[in-house]
Amino acid sequence: MTSANVIEIEEAEVAETIPCCDIRLPAGLLGFEHMKDYLLIAKPGEAPFHWLQVRNNPALAFVVIEPVYFMPEYQPDIPQADVEFLGLTSPDDAAVYVIVTVNGPRRATANLKGPIVINRNTGLGKQVVIANAAQYSVQHPLPVNA
Amino acid sequence: MLVLTRKPGESIVIAGRIHVKVVRVEGDSVKIGIEAPSEVPVHRREVYEEIQRSNQQALTRQSAEPLKLPLAATARPKRKTAKSL
Repeated sequence: MTSANVIEIEEAEVAETIPCCDIRLPAGLLGFEHMKDYLLIAKPGEAPFHWLQVRNNPALAFVVIEPVYFMPEYQPDIPQADVEFLGLTSPDDAAVYVIVTVNGPRRATANLKGPIVINRNTGLGKQVVIANAAQYSVQHPLPVNA
Repeated sequence: MLVLTRKPGESIVIAGRIHVKVVRVEGDSVKIGIEAPSEVPVHRREVYEEIQRSNQQALTRQSAEPLKLPLAATARPKRKTAKSL
């Protein structure tokens, strides 16, 4: 590597995404059953938010977040049929993400009735309608600093 | 809409692989049993539509602009990095 070719790049110029994981949702998402393959991506400076990017159409994506970051007491009751479908053998196998709707600068809500549950080991996932959906909101406001 | 009349205990077969059975009728409620392959999701309609609407509103086009959502996190649990899900 020759020092003559080294260019200093300021952090702001680097629109790097950190591809993470291939996620397969065999049943798609509710209303988007045809969209089954995704990449779960983290972008610098946006933690703890991630993007669930549509593989076939990378311009389309959902903002997602693990609910533990704003509601540690969230206890989704995952139906047994979904537990089996996902091959979950223990709670540690499951990564839970909720879809975020961004309504404006610093205004967003999360869907707590239909989280995306992913088997950490296989990347197999499903948007689960939790058995205790009545307890939670489909538009739970996210606590955002002004 | 196809409308069929069934008595408790009787069933309907859809696409040769989804079975819908009238389990019991109690007052103005009907208990319905559904057998379907695991890749066929089955939901109560009103919850399905609510979540479908929410998904539609949430779907966004990625732009180069970063998200501006400084979360007032209530907890910062020690956890694995994004790379390991």
